Amino acid sequence: MADALHTLSAAELGRRLSAGLLTSRTLCEALIARYHLVNKKVGAFTHLDEADVLAQAEASDARRKAGEGRGPLEGIPVAIKDNIAVKGQPLTCSSKMLASLVSPYDAHVTERLRAAGAILYGRLNMDEFAMGSSTENSAIQKTFNPWDLACIPGGSSGGSAAALAAGLVPLALGSDTGGSIRQPASHCGVVGLKPTYGLISRFGLVAFASSLDQIGPMARCIEDCELLLRALASADARDMTCFGPSDRAFTPAGDAKKLRIGIPKGFLGKGVGAEVATAVTAAIEFYRSQGCAISEVELPSADLAVPTYYVVATAEASSNLGRYDGVRYGHRSASAGTPVEMMTNSRSEGFGAEVKRRILLGTFVLSAGYADAYYMRALRARSKIRAEYLAALATVDVLLTPTVPTPAFKVGEKASDPLQLYLEDIFTIPANLAGLPAISVPCGKSGHLPVGFHLVGAPLSEAKLLAAGRLFEAAHGFAHQQAAL
Amino acid sequence: MAEGFDIDHLAKLARLNLTAEEKALYSSQLNQILGHFQTLAKADLPETIDLARVVSESALRSDEPGPVLGAEAVTRIAPASRDGQISVPRVVDDEA
Repeated sequence: MADALHTLSAAELGRRLSAGLLTSRTLCEALIARYHLVNKKVGAFTHLDEADVLAQAEASDARRKAGEGRGPLEGIPVAIKDNIAVKGQPLTCSSKMLASLVSPYDAHVTERLRAAGAILYGRLNMDEFAMGSSTENSAIQKTFNPWDLACIPGGSSGGSAAALAAGLVPLALGSDTGGSIRQPASHCGVVGLKPTYGLISRFGLVAFASSLDQIGPMARCIEDCELLLRALASADARDMTCFGPSDRAFTPAGDAKKLRIGIPKGFLGKGVGAEVATAVTAAIEFYRSQGCAISEVELPSADLAVPTYYVVATAEASSNLGRYDGVRYGHRSASAGTPVEMMTNSRSEGFGAEVKRRILLGTFVLSAGYADAYYMRALRARSKIRAEYLAALATVDVLLTPTVPTPAFKVGEKASDPLQLYLEDIFTIPANLAGLPAISVPCGKSGHLPVGFHLVGAPLSEAKLLAAGRLFEAAHGFAHQQAAL
Repeated sequence: MAEGFDIDHLAKLARLNLTAEEKALYSSQLNQILGHFQTLAKADLPETIDLARVVSESALRSDEPGPVLGAEAVTRIAPASRDGQISVPRVVDDEA
């Protein structure tokens, strides 16, 4: 049995642990063996403290034996993106700026995982400070798509998606500012959910663009995704945007076969790859065959989403990343005479190219003489996009589109063209601008590369998104899929 | 919409040193990206900004003291410290 443990879902592992058929120690040993076999090829993890993992597993087994198990995640490993704080572990954001930082505290989600008995299992690679769509912007290492090692895994939570698709871990945390959970989930054939803005506390998440950032669960099936989401969502006074009890998000969604599904006009047209369009159209036809009401909806300002996002996100990033000045933590330049030289040299040496590009862009759109033309106009456009999405979601339950227009591309293919990379997020960005929950569900292949579809719902409609995903998943063979490595 | 930017001024505002090659590269890329943003300039937009939270809950909490990182934890992650305090290059000149 031990050799197949990496193929099982978290829910199934939990059942075996509860039934006494498995110990967390045995599970973690099997996954560590898998890590030694596979991680070098995929590059998903940047750090794994094996002794610490085994100590956590033994503590979990002891709790279970004493009748003090903490719930469905007891003894289950959860891997964590390297921008979410775990006390005593590296917190690098895959940046030279934070290369030697060891977190002095736990994020709220980390506290939640500890309280649920989960095993905090290693640090996952990402685009530097979560800025990117391919994980090529990591200053630490490259991550490769397990389905084709010549291709990117998506990003910025590329390590999280690749680790799941490679069978390295059953559950992972990502963060999503413009699609950073859902786009890599689509590229790697796994499930990724960005919750309603405010459902999960960001205390301990390194800030990129605070009006857009959310932490979310990633898994190989819907059941696992929901299991992790339930563990993470709770009130936290340390994040002023985090609201209280989250029951509304988990209200039973009713019969998924009665969902009203809106297809935004034109979203399956220009720029969408033929095989992506075929797979997503087949998913729409599946829902129609199940009795769901399918209708076309208008989102006239959809073409404003990408420019709006890149003005708002870079503006906020240029402000948030002002804290990296070489004073309190992170890289400090060795060549610094004055405080200003120390700050400027530290930032210039510590940040990579994409981070510098976004800081410059954000600085420009906020600068005197330009803020009205760019930043304030973007806020007005954001208001309009949000109003259109909320209006559409008053007439249908969910909006269905591809998650990404085209499948994963070759490593290096778009590295010199930032604008092309920005357009990867065209379908995922509006959910962040509007604060809405959204999920990517695997629905087919383009050649040998996975394709996902994307559902967006009204605020706190996570249960509907999960129910819709479950209906599709149960009738298709895409859950639990792992690449052969 | 306003166009053009001074890359030297931006780099100064952002506290970044850029080489001549970086200045040329970023200028060209930012021009291309800002060109894409022109759809925003042409769009018919509402005059008012309505970005109230999608979930309407109070953001206010009572202002009570809570746990904070101690000096030892803070100085352990600082690039340089002395006597339990973070040290930086001299801020005020002797003559000043």
